Amino acid sequence: MAIACPVGFDVTRLKQEVRQTYASVARDPNGNFHFHRGPEYAARLLGYDLAELKSLPQIVAAPFAGVGNPFLMDNLSPGGTVVDIGSGAGMDCLLAGRRVGPEGTVVGVDMTDEMIERARAGAEEAGLDHVRFEKGDINKLPVDPDSVDVVISNGVFNLAPDKAALFTELYRVVKAGGRLQFADITVGVELSEDARNDIDLWTG
Amino acid sequence: MIEALQQAGFRNARACHFFDSFSGTTKERVARKYEVRGANFVAYK
Repeated sequence: MAIACPVGFDVTRLKQEVRQTYASVARDPNGNFHFHRGPEYAARLLGYDLAELKSLPQIVAAPFAGVGNPFLMDNLSPGGTVVDIGSGAGMDCLLAGRRVGPEGTVVGVDMTDEMIERARAGAEEAGLDHVRFEKGDINKLPVDPDSVDVVISNGVFNLAPDKAALFTELYRVVKAGGRLQFADITVGVELSEDARNDIDLWTG
Repeated sequence: MIEALQQAGFRNARACHFFDSFSGTTKERVARKYEVRGANFVAYK
């Protein structure tokens, strides 16, 4: 069940809260948050390969705060173009960069300066020149139409109050025959009105 | 989620795997109350 956008919800405030929350995660991944972070969590609960995560720069792995594992669904082909929506500190982008190889391209898009800085530093440390990060709005991607083989994302779409606009934008950039493979949260029961308007539940 | 993906034009949209992403967090009780889980999705153009 998708989370519907609450009537009267302050979307501008939501974006600010999301940006502030994840800027805090970037500055202090071991801080007090109500969601898990880091490679041990990713391996223990989400099925990532801990040895592979430990081989990444910890500047990108420590703030990881995804909710699933986009790499379990299908392989990323060498030479492919991948876009990560809400790429955070860049852990999934670096993993994607290894899979598509130097003939491929990976673009991470995020709206948080602190995360972009970490991600760019991590890609440089890992020597993955074909992985780049762009600051931007996920509803207006800095990507050409019909140019992407696979869109990945991890725990971000639930933060977007207008999913119709987001998915229309993703449809614009994906090639015919391309795909989305992403992780997000699902809600099994109808939320109360109070819960729908609790901004803390949206930013986590 | 699936309905929104289909309305945008994607086909064969489905959830593939589920995760107890909030197990052990301070929001675990709320997550259980509302059956909140992580999930993998795939959809094709």
